[in-house]
Amino acid sequence: MGAAPASRDVTSYGMGLAAPLALFFLLFFVAPLLQLLWLSLHNDTAGLHWGLGQYLHFLTDPFSLGVLGSTLLLGAEVTAVCLVLGFPIAWLYQRVGPRLQTIIILIVLLPLLTSVVVRTFAWIVILGRQGIINATLQSLGIIETPLKLLYTQFGVVLALAQVQMPLMTLPLITALGRIDPNLDDASCSLGAGSWRTFFRIVLPLSLPGVIAGCTLTYAAAITAFITQSLIGGGQMLFMPMYLYQQASTLQNWPFASAISIIFLLAVLAVVSVFTTLGRMSRGYGGA
Amino acid sequence: MIMNRRSLLTTALTLGAMKAFPGLSYAQARPLVFATFTGSWEEAHKAVLVPAFRKANADAAMVLDPMLSVDQIAKVNAAKANPPVDVMLHDPGPALVAIGQDLVEPYPVEKSAYYKDLIAEAQEPTGPAPFFQVVGLTYNPEAVKTPPTSWADLWKPEFKGRVGITNLNSTLGTGWLVEIAKMRGGSEANVDPGFKALEELKPNLAAVAANPGALATLFQQGQIDISPGNFNAIQILKARGVPVEFVAPKEGAIAFKTTIHIVKNSPNRELAFKLIEAALTPEVQTTLMNPPYLIVPTNSKVTMGGEIARVLAKDTAELKKKFVFQDWKKINEQRSAWIERFNREIKI
Repeated sequence: MGAAPASRDVTSYGMGLAAPLALFFLLFFVAPLLQLLWLSLHNDTAGLHWGLGQYLHFLTDPFSLGVLGSTLLLGAEVTAVCLVLGFPIAWLYQRVGPRLQTIIILIVLLPLLTSVVVRTFAWIVILGRQGIINATLQSLGIIETPLKLLYTQFGVVLALAQVQMPLMTLPLITALGRIDPNLDDASCSLGAGSWRTFFRIVLPLSLPGVIAGCTLTYAAAITAFITQSLIGGGQMLFMPMYLYQQASTLQNWPFASAISIIFLLAVLAVVSVFTTLGRMSRGYGGA
Repeated sequence: MIMNRRSLLTTALTLGAMKAFPGLSYAQARPLVFATFTGSWEEAHKAVLVPAFRKANADAAMVLDPMLSVDQIAKVNAAKANPPVDVMLHDPGPALVAIGQDLVEPYPVEKSAYYKDLIAEAQEPTGPAPFFQVVGLTYNPEAVKTPPTSWADLWKPEFKGRVGITNLNSTLGTGWLVEIAKMRGGSEANVDPGFKALEELKPNLAAVAANPGALATLFQQGQIDISPGNFNAIQILKARGVPVEFVAPKEGAIAFKTTIHIVKNSPNRELAFKLIEAALTPEVQTTLMNPPYLIVPTNSKVTMGGEIARVLAKDTAELKKKFVFQDWKKINEQRSAWIERFNREIKI
C-alpha cells in the first residue's frame, strides 16, 4: 500500500487545472503574437515578400530609435517619481493605527476606481493655461504669464505618475508589512540612528517590493497610450502612438508589427534587468 | 493531465470548423449592421436615420456598431467572405483605401430614387456622400476681437502661442496642410510649401493635438484661441456654452465627402441599399441639418437654413463656390511620407 503515495510527489502539481488558462493564452496570446512576428518579417504591406526590411528600417533610423529611447526614458522618470512619492506613503501605512490605514488604502486605491480617461482629462484641467496650477500661481503673483505645463514632458510624467501610483504603492505596502518591527528596535538599541536603520535595514528588506513595484509601474507607464497622447499632444511621439499611427492611419501593418516586436523585446530586456535585481535582492534580504 | 490528445484534437477541430464556417457560430439571418462613426455621428444617426429607415422598411431590424473608419476596414478585411458589417461610413482617405482593397459593392445608381438629386460632388458610384464635413477657422470671440478671414491670419504675430493644430493622423490635419500648401503655390502632389509654412507657424503654435476631438477641448481650457476646426465639432462645443465661432476662410472652406458604402458580400445587400437611400432623402437630410446636429446636406432638394445658411452657404450654388474639394487619390499616394515628415520636423 505504500507504493501509491510514493508514486505521487506532493511537491509537484498536475497541469490539469492550468490547462484552460494555458489554452486560452495559447489561442489568444501566443497565436496572435506569432502572427505578428510572421507579418513583421515581410518587406511589403501586402505581406508577400519575406525579409528583414522593416527591422532594418527601424534600427537604422535615428528618428525611430529616438522614439524608442524617449519612451524608455519616460518610463524610467515615471518609475522614479512613483518610487520617491510612493515609498513614504507605504512606510507611513505600516506605522499608523487601523483607522488611518483604511483611509490610506482608500486614497491609494481611489485612482484605480475611476477610468484612466477621466483621470487624464482631470489632468488637462489642472495643467492647462487657465488650469488650477497656473491660476493659483498667477493669483499669488508668482508668475505673470501662464506656464506651459500641458503638452510637455513634465506634464506627461506628472500625470502618468499619479495614474500609475497604486501599482507602486501596493507592492511596497506588502513588502514593508513583512519586515519584523523588532528589527527596527534591535537596530536602534545597537546604536544606529533612524536614517541608518532605514538605509541598512528597512530599504534592503523592502527591495523585493521595490522591484515588483518598479516593474509594474514601468510597464504600465510606457504603454499608457491614452495619457501619453492626451497630455503629451500630437507632436510628442512615444512608441504606442507611433505604433497606432503606422497600424491605423497608414495601414502599414508589417512595419507596425516590427515596431511592436522591437518594443516588446526592449520592454522584456528592461523587465529582465528588474527581475535579475529582484533575485539578487532576495539573496540579500534572506542573508 | 486532464488534457489528453483526443480532447485537444476535438477542441482544435471544433475551433477550426467555426473558423472555416463562421455561419455556424451565429444564426443565419442577422440584422443589418451599420458602422457609423462614434460620438455625435452616432447620436444623430440613432435619433434620425435609424427611425426613418425602420419606418420606411416595415420595422426591419438593424443595429449601429460605431467605429472609426480604419477599424471598419480592418474588421471587414478580416472576414471578407462574411463581413460583420453591411454598411460602412468613410472619410475620403479611408474610402479610397476600402475601394482599393475591393471591400465595397458599387452603388446601384439606376435603382436609386435620390442619387440624381445629389450635388455633383456627392455622386460617387462606389458609394454616395450623404453628408459633407466642413473645415474652416475656429476662434474664441472673447479673445479674438476681429474675426479672422483667411488661413493666413494664423500667422499673425498677435496669435503668438495661441494657435492649435492637429497632427496628420486625422483627415482634418492632412486636409488643412494641403490647403496651406495650395495657398503658397503647392498642390495635392507637392506639400513642400505647406511644411515651410508650418515651420514659420511654430512661434504661434500652442498645441499640436493628437486628434480633432482633443483640439476642440483645448478651446474649453483656454489653451488656444484659434485653430482650423470642424464645423460640426465646433457647433457641439458652442451648444455647451464654450465661446467659439466658426468662419469659412476666404480661400474656401475645406469640404470632405463622408461617403456611405454597401460592403462587398454583405448578406443584407437589399436592406443596406434601403438604409443608404434613407440617408439620401431630403427629409432625413433636412432634420440632420437643423439643430442640434447641423450636418451639411448633399441633396440639392434640401433648402439650406439656420446656422448652416448663416455661416456656410444659402444654397447649392453658393456652397459650390465656397467649398474646396481636394483630390484624396493624390493625397493618399504620399500621405505616409508626410506623416513621417511631420513626426520628424514638428517639435514645439
